[in-house]
Amino acid sequence: MRVVHYLNQFFGGIGGEEHADTEPQVHDEPVGPGRLLGQVLGEDAQVVRTIVCGDNYATENMEALTALVLEQTKDAQADIFVAGPCFEAGRYGVAAAGLCVAVSSELDIPVVTGMAQENPGVDLHRQTLYIVDSGKAASAMREVLTKMSNMAHKLASGQDMGSPAEEGYIARGILKDTFVEQTAAQRLVAMLDAKVKGEEFESELPAPSFPEIPAPAPVADMSKARVAIITDGGLVPKGNPDNISAWAATNWGSYDISGKDGLQGDDYEVSHRGYDTRYVEQDPDRLVPVDVLRELEESNVIGELHSQFISTSGLVNPIANSRRLGREIAAQLKESEVDAVILTST
Amino acid sequence: MEKAGIPVCHVTSVVPVAKMVGSNRIVQGQGIVHVMGDADLPAEEEKELRRKTVLQAIEALKNEAATP
Amino acid sequence: MRLTLAIHQIGSLSLGAATLLDGNKLVVDPEELRLLILEDTRLRSVDIETVSPGEDCRIGVVFDILEPRAKEAGSGPNFPGILDPIGVVGQGVTHVLRGVAVTVVDGGAGLENGKILEMTGPAGEASPYTSLHHLVITPHSAENVVRHSEQASLRLASVKTSVYLAQCALEITPHSAEIFESDGPVVQGREGLPRFAYIGQVHSRQRVAEIDEKILYGDNTAGMVPVSLHPNEWLDGAVVTCNRAMGAETYFYQNHPVILELYRRHQDDEITLVGTLATMAASDNEERDRNCMLAAEHAKWNLAADGVILTKYGGGAPHADLSLTARRCEELGIRTTVQVSDMSWDRRAESALLFNYPVVDAIVYVGGRDTDWDVPAAGRVIAGSGELAEELGAPRRLIATNVCGVSSQQGISRLRAMVH
Repeated sequence: MRVVHYLNQFFGGIGGEEHADTEPQVHDEPVGPGRLLGQVLGEDAQVVRTIVCGDNYATENMEALTALVLEQTKDAQADIFVAGPCFEAGRYGVAAAGLCVAVSSELDIPVVTGMAQENPGVDLHRQTLYIVDSGKAASAMREVLTKMSNMAHKLASGQDMGSPAEEGYIARGILKDTFVEQTAAQRLVAMLDAKVKGEEFESELPAPSFPEIPAPAPVADMSKARVAIITDGGLVPKGNPDNISAWAATNWGSYDISGKDGLQGDDYEVSHRGYDTRYVEQDPDRLVPVDVLRELEESNVIGELHSQFISTSGLVNPIANSRRLGREIAAQLKESEVDAVILTST
Repeated sequence: MEKAGIPVCHVTSVVPVAKMVGSNRIVQGQGIVHVMGDADLPAEEEKELRRKTVLQAIEALKNEAATP
Repeated sequence: MRLTLAIHQIGSLSLGAATLLDGNKLVVDPEELRLLILEDTRLRSVDIETVSPGEDCRIGVVFDILEPRAKEAGSGPNFPGILDPIGVVGQGVTHVLRGVAVTVVDGGAGLENGKILEMTGPAGEASPYTSLHHLVITPHSAENVVRHSEQASLRLASVKTSVYLAQCALEITPHSAEIFESDGPVVQGREGLPRFAYIGQVHSRQRVAEIDEKILYGDNTAGMVPVSLHPNEWLDGAVVTCNRAMGAETYFYQNHPVILELYRRHQDDEITLVGTLATMAASDNEERDRNCMLAAEHAKWNLAADGVILTKYGGGAPHADLSLTARRCEELGIRTTVQVSDMSWDRRAESALLFNYPVVDAIVYVGGRDTDWDVPAAGRVIAGSGELAEELGAPRRLIATNVCGVSSQQGISRLRAMVH
């Protein structure tokens, strides 16, 4: 197994922060911890090339660095690419993770890196990479390299990767169903028992976190504003011309309401499985309030009701999907110079 | 939408979820099956209720973000 | 309250000239059963057949699965509000035909997203139903019967059949007895043991319940606030599933995994089971706030619970009720664990949880979305019509969430979604 290794200026033996601008250096042999890496990898593997680069250079010239690393890795006929471990070093971690992603997608070879859970490099690429949890202390180098080496072997041989606890990598947030010994009921009571007694327990799901998006400024003068209605309740014209799925919809539709004083049940249907749709089908204004907004437009409470309403189905829609839909819809509304949105959800 | 700078008012019957994903302006809707209406009310009153809910949303858009 | 289950272990099930129990052999007279079921004029006919454990047989769409049970005279009503008049259940003696299930096929339901019972293969292995002998009934409605009436007739047929089968065991000495005894929250002499309660959703108002949909003591639960039930009432016919239940069958109310596990620990003097609540997931914010508050306050002041286990019904929105009730309990000093269903279609943990309260931190996650099987053509198919049988019998992909007993909301599931 031929291994190419990436290190920063510190682990590459050049020096500390004062050398963070060091341009990439290429060595045809292991450097620093790379020697230990070669040892733990075993006889059938060898670190054939090492690229050392300053953290600041990497941060400011990521494109150039990536191109160089790809070139060198390809040229060295690498079977595996290893970056770090980076422990707490943030710029190092970000660079290492970014390089791993590039090598993996361009050269299609297994990639391994390691860093502390708090390292910013983890969040950026958590779901695409296997990142060994190195903890913060560089004194654990040998242990960490061993885990990285085991992971490298596993990836190279195409074996199934075990759980984060088993293999020592940072949880990627990807779900895998497994059959276990105990029924859910048994697990529930056991977990409650531990919790009530103040003992340790392991929840089967960690709490999610959603990034805070600062609220846009309020609309100064609604009587001059163009307001658009968006719904995730799945209201579509009869016949569902855009074929919006009743769940996990991957597309959205924009439907003309110019001149309409309200929506008629005969003209629409609902593509959504998560609620009892008859009330909305009787009177779609119950979901998309065109009737009221048109009146408010006429009495100049709002400036204008946008000529289209936008619709998709929010049922069990994966977050990544919803993010994309939101981005696309936002782009269209910005183009149409919409000032404010009322989003109705079931 | 808000990332693009357009203020959004979210009208929903499952407020906890809206809060969780970070909606900045939330107004309580009327019910999962008719968030902008109420089938138990006679038509006139239902429309009045709808108008009230929409006006709440418009108020929220006029003001700094605050959730119920 | 004390409930004795008289358990009759059944080793074989067949159709014959008379309904009787001989040792562990159960014979069912389909003609007598048919007459009984067809007293309901909403039905024009009913198919009755038996399926053996592990048989190469696929059944769908399943309306419900029940365990055959009948109460001894003087022990109270069978399925009060549905079959018998209203009266309290959970006491006296109830005879159980263990090893048998009554499975009702819903001929009026489309196959897409309907529940399938797969009796063989890897999909079957994952379900506790495949080790049972099934009496499968497929009722066919008369003309001009509207859908909810059809469903009501299926419900009636299901409980009639369950009781009819078990009645033949009433005079027979059972193989064993299981006793469920609890004095509720005012029990004496158990100081020092943690007090546990169970709060289980039995309906979700994402769908408005039909006027004749019988769920709790025969009521459709519309307008109900949380209802206090003795654990025995769940086990003895007070609760059945709604007309279209995802991941729940009446069989596992009768054999409720959470209540049985709580009772096991109660009987071993590890905890005290103080009581339960049946709740309904709300249709709007105010109802949710009200009902979750009422449930938590009840757990605190009437049950004096130290810990509560919560399960849900329905789909996504009920997680809000589940988690809000749990949060309110935690705020009152009661520890909680919750069971969530699999809402992650993209297999990312970020999409999985529909709530974010730091105090609701003990979660059991029943997977199911990425467990599926490519199953071959079924050797035998039971469905509502010839066309449906043809479609259902063909090779297909079965997803765990659509296979009875695999990813259950009642707690019987051995599936778990691990975060990798």
